[in-house]
Amino acid sequence: MKKYLQIFKLSFQQEFAYRLNFVMWRVRNILQIILTFFLWSSVFKNPETSVFGYNQEKILTYVFGILILRAIVFSARAVDVAGEISNGDITNFLLKPISYFKYWATRDTASKVLNLSFSVVEITILFVILRPHLFLQTNLLILFAVFVFLILAVILFFCLLFITNMSAFWMPENGWAAQFLFIAIITDFLSGGVFPLDILPYTFQKVLYSTPFPYLLFFPLQVYLGKIAGLEIIRGLVTSFAWVFILFMSVRFIWAKGLKRYSAEGR
Amino acid sequence: MSRNSFLAVFNQKAALTIFLVGKLIRFFFFFAFIVFLLKGTKSLAGYNLNQTLLFFFTFNLIDTISQFLFREVYRFRPLIVSGGFDLVLSKPINALFRSLMGGADVIDLITIIPLTIATFYVASLLNPSILHTTFYILLVLNGLVIASAFHIFVLGLGIVTLEIDHTIMIYRDLTALGRFPIDIYKEPLRGIITFLIPIGVMVSFPAKAIMGLMSPIGVAWSLVFGGLILFLSLKFWKFALKKYTSASS
Amino acid sequence: MDRAIVVDRLVKNFEVTEKEKGLRGSIKSIFSPKKKVVHALRGISFTIQPGELVGFIGPNGAGKTTTLKTLSGLLYPSSGFVQVLEYDPWEKKPEFLKQISLVMGQKNQLWWDLPAIETFELNREIYEIPRRDYEKNLEELVTLLDVGKLLKTQVRRLSLGQRMRMELVAALLHGPKVLFLDEPTIGLDLIGQQKIRDFIYEYNYKKNATIILTSHNMDDLTNLARRVIVIGAGRILFDGALEELTDRFAKEKIIKISLSKEIDIKEVEEIGTVKYVSFPEVTLSVPRSTVAVAAAEILQNFPVNDLTIEEVPVEEIIKKVFRGELNK
Repeated sequence: MKKYLQIFKLSFQQEFAYRLNFVMWRVRNILQIILTFFLWSSVFKNPETSVFGYNQEKILTYVFGILILRAIVFSARAVDVAGEISNGDITNFLLKPISYFKYWATRDTASKVLNLSFSVVEITILFVILRPHLFLQTNLLILFAVFVFLILAVILFFCLLFITNMSAFWMPENGWAAQFLFIAIITDFLSGGVFPLDILPYTFQKVLYSTPFPYLLFFPLQVYLGKIAGLEIIRGLVTSFAWVFILFMSVRFIWAKGLKRYSAEGR
Repeated sequence: MSRNSFLAVFNQKAALTIFLVGKLIRFFFFFAFIVFLLKGTKSLAGYNLNQTLLFFFTFNLIDTISQFLFREVYRFRPLIVSGGFDLVLSKPINALFRSLMGGADVIDLITIIPLTIATFYVASLLNPSILHTTFYILLVLNGLVIASAFHIFVLGLGIVTLEIDHTIMIYRDLTALGRFPIDIYKEPLRGIITFLIPIGVMVSFPAKAIMGLMSPIGVAWSLVFGGLILFLSLKFWKFALKKYTSASS
Repeated sequence: MDRAIVVDRLVKNFEVTEKEKGLRGSIKSIFSPKKKVVHALRGISFTIQPGELVGFIGPNGAGKTTTLKTLSGLLYPSSGFVQVLEYDPWEKKPEFLKQISLVMGQKNQLWWDLPAIETFELNREIYEIPRRDYEKNLEELVTLLDVGKLLKTQVRRLSLGQRMRMELVAALLHGPKVLFLDEPTIGLDLIGQQKIRDFIYEYNYKKNATIILTSHNMDDLTNLARRVIVIGAGRILFDGALEELTDRFAKEKIIKISLSKEIDIKEVEEIGTVKYVSFPEVTLSVPRSTVAVAAAEILQNFPVNDLTIEEVPVEEIIKKVFRGELNK
């Protein structure tokens, strides 16, 4: 719809109004990549080393893959929702014939496009400097599966982020802290954003696979690296879909509750 | 001052509790990561599990203590932008001290004490000599001196450019490179983060010293280095203040 | 449709968490937060005809903003009935939202970092305004509010008055039939206030739009509103023409005399409260019921050149309203 196209356009302009913020955010991303890149290069100094089912090529592909996947999955503007709830700016949207979710989904998309294009440039530069051997997946079927998992990952993250932000309906001062704890720490770790989850003990991994977190980054990357195949892909797909359904319903439920609450406190 | 800080802390109690829990979780995630990683690989850049853990604990110790001491730096930008800094300058209390250490955050003590004990426990597992332990303590203190210098630089830069939040974040990300022994980084990066941005001297050298990997000359040299950086940062602060007072008149 | 707005026995209660003072209080409130119910509206009823411009007045916390928010669908009534343009506001049907607008002097909808025209374009899409109507409305609003040259300036660089006018443009592009204005002139200088006032008058007159206005600015009310509703502590104290406020609430009348000789003011004070003395003029206020007797007494006992009896100015009454000094 046209109104969301206009929002997309404005989001882009908005990001450019905060160029410095954006550039700094990218610099921080690169620093994190450097840390993990060297950590793993050091572990896999000898190209023949093979630990946790990775060799040098695959682990470095993991590190670079995380940079891209973070841009696609974790880039979002909906982090501002908590702020809008607590300072009352959300009022502007409630008064307009527009869907608040679609509004933020659009703004997230703009942010993803921008971050993705930057991360591609960064990867090219890092690639030229560090000259790692990367693993290229050529099986089209697998690439398609990765694509499907990525779409699910984007939806899952949107729901998780929105639920976290909606906590501001109940604790307006702490929306930011909740976000730090749940998104920046827990989600980041449990999705494999900091280290690959398969270095964890087997039972722990099994439990983790029934939560939504690994499907945000880790699972799509494993599929890409060819470490997960066949029946396990199907199982992942089912779990992922189930979580999309559960979280989507939760978002709607919490939103309705939150609006009543907002109204009861009269901010 | 401190009673006010206490009250302010309690008014944001829930936010701070969540924040603290987040930090603890992050600490344990990384801890678990190192344990599991070294279970699989046996060594990281030539260090065994306990040694790697000591690097990690030392990093956290210095990082947490400096956050505890210098929390006020994170609130410096609004002070500068709003002109509230003029009030700070007009008070009979050292402006640098106030801007640097005015907001010590009690909640960090909850983590600092157990962290210190744990760090000493991990260190004791390496059976260090008394001399090496002394080196360690000296170099940790030196690390804190370097951390203060960093924060003074950030404040000075804040006065000159009105920009704090990003520089402090970049500083934090850079020091986070010291979570693991800096030996994992390849040259020229290793040289840069050892000396140019002295994260190596700040968080990696103490752990190396307790393992007997630092010569007395190296230790002495690090201390001189720390002092020099502090001196330079104070110079920079004075320069920034001059710039501020001449600009706002 | 003969009624734009119907409100019947509307009640709205809020729940608030109380914070206690001091360290101990703070710790205590972590474990057992104290909840308190605030009765913002205690059953108010009124109706407004299409095209009316009504002023809401009352002291802070009387329930004015709560009423506006309930009417625009932001708040869910605790009990009672609310209807705007024959819709239930809380349902937030798009057809309803396209016909109303709420402007709050202390909130903004404009994108802070972009020129105002971008927000206008966005609103065009959001409200699905046909291009031709949009161009026409924009042209008209921009001329009326005199902001044509500022359309491409970043909103953050506008002055408060300019921004408020832009907010009005953004809020009115879709030509709402019902307009809620909450303190639209707050914080503006005199010229800025006048511009906004002229505009509201024009808009009400030209478009026959129904407008409810709350304000702490007396000029807003005396210049714009023919009908006022006085709210105090969640109840309606008065609903009627502005001029009738005086009949209703003024317990006194004003006697102005012009003396021919200087006298001892103390003697006059026995008759009424002396408000103002500047020889030869003296102004007194006297209870309504005794005004005739007082006037006669003055004419008899003092050397008077001229005497007039006047009503208390409406501004005085409104001032009292704001201070919360009026009772039924």
